Amino acid sequence: MLSPRAWGFVLALASVVLPALPFGPLFAQPPMPLAVLWAAYGWAAEREGGPLGEHWLQMLAALRAPIALTALGLLHDQLAGGPYGLFVLLYLSAHLMGRIVSVNMSAPNLISLWGGFVVTAAATVAIAALVARFLAPIAVTPYAEAALITSLFFPIVRPLYMSATVTPRAKVGGRR
Amino acid sequence: MARRRSSVRRAGAGRRAPAAVLLAVVLAVGAIALLILRAGGSSSVMQTGDDGAAAAGRVATGPVRAGESFLERLGAMWTASARIDELERENQDLQTWRELAERLAERNRRYEELLRMPADSFGEGADVERAIAAQLVLDSGGPFTRTLVANAGADHGVRVGYIVVNANGLIGRVVTVGRRSSRVLMLDDYTSRIPVMGEASRVRAVMAGQATRPPELVLYPYQVQSPRLDFIVGAQNLREGERVITSGDGGIFPRGIPVGVAHREGDGSWRVAPAAAQRPIDYVRIIPFVGVETPEETSVADEGPPLNAVSSVAVIGREVTPPPPTVPSAQAPTPRPARPAAQQNPPPSAEPAPEPTQPAPETPPAANGPTE
Repeated sequence: MLSPRAWGFVLALASVVLPALPFGPLFAQPPMPLAVLWAAYGWAAEREGGPLGEHWLQMLAALRAPIALTALGLLHDQLAGGPYGLFVLLYLSAHLMGRIVSVNMSAPNLISLWGGFVVTAAATVAIAALVARFLAPIAVTPYAEAALITSLFFPIVRPLYMSATVTPRAKVGGRR
Repeated sequence: MARRRSSVRRAGAGRRAPAAVLLAVVLAVGAIALLILRAGGSSSVMQTGDDGAAAAGRVATGPVRAGESFLERLGAMWTASARIDELERENQDLQTWRELAERLAERNRRYEELLRMPADSFGEGADVERAIAAQLVLDSGGPFTRTLVANAGADHGVRVGYIVVNANGLIGRVVTVGRRSSRVLMLDDYTSRIPVMGEASRVRAVMAGQATRPPELVLYPYQVQSPRLDFIVGAQNLREGERVITSGDGGIFPRGIPVGVAHREGDGSWRVAPAAAQRPIDYVRIIPFVGVETPEETSVADEGPPLNAVSSVAVIGREVTPPPPTVPSAQAPTPRPARPAAQQNPPPSAEPAPEPTQPAPETPPAANGPTE
């Protein structure tokens, strides 16, 4: 049986692959959420990977989050018709934003985690707008719609990417 | 307890940037570099990837398509008798229509002969006889671009610029070609701009893709670059529900391909409901089409018409647009004795023009510009 984290990865992979298959508008993005954003944020908040080890396999495991996000981003770019680097940039930005948000979060609970994700998703929309302005002719509005839908569904899928013990952790992690 | 605290809250404990963060930053910078390098043009890596993705898409969608087909056949068995009767009635109707179409085609041919118009005046430049049938195996479906991948590529004769249509109308245009696949830019992509016109009103417009919204009709596309065309008339003649077809302006698309139906939004803007929007778009025809070359690209040693000559095409187009400034007829009243040879042409003695009064079919005199 797959663990919740594995299911989260499968969901992220599905959100990249399914819109590329000709299954109709229901599987387009939007309305399909960008599940990789959930993964990028959740893995950042949880510091997925842990410390670097001595062996190269340990190093690979420690760095699996950015590597997986890069691979998913490149796959998404390929299936969507490019440009290469666009989704990689957005997913890694979400990951770094998640790190910053988690560092500054004093009392993580569902609301604050959700708020942090909304901020992260909004930041990726801003980055997409900058790319559209300076680097590549892309449509930002549909991405913003997809990011909004992704933000709305975040509380439902959060256990697949983050610890399920929100409430106790909120008490423990009070201001100090 | 220590384990619980170690999840989110502990993230603020360290000050030294971990290796994962550094790697993420480096990869993000690499992504930006990729985006910047993309300005150089289409990449062969993308085309190769399209080939692989197309093959994977065929495999992935095969069972679904097979299942759909089986269920449809099973359901059709129950109504087979009624459908046969219906098909026979339709067949009789189609025979009538076929005869009518043949009569009209013959009449149209004679009219064209009477008008002495080149054979490709109405979009026949698209070589329908050599159309390539293909199946769309991937749909970008992404938020940024609207592209499709067809399972026909360079090995099947597909080239960049070929037109993609289905039974309902225009789908888009081939923008990249791999060996066994090709990527099609859909007409509703954010970067898509297609010269169109109303079929009945003949109102010219440029259809601008809007990604998720129906494409918008820009009714004054030339106003910014050509203020001389401020007097353009007819935009108000566009009708609700009017069929929109390609106008052939610019020579990128042949003229006359059905695009969709025009309808007006609440804010007064015109949009097009694409004719080919019925999803999923499945089988398509890729039509070879070579755009009209500019006269400069196919210049011949020809002195051109006399100074006072005005071509019939220019007369037809006068109500819409003035002739370009390089047309010598604008300088007709000047008392110069003879027209100097065009600067881009070789000396007149190089090669005599075969028929100076009739334009060569390969170089129609700006007939595909915004002059009609």
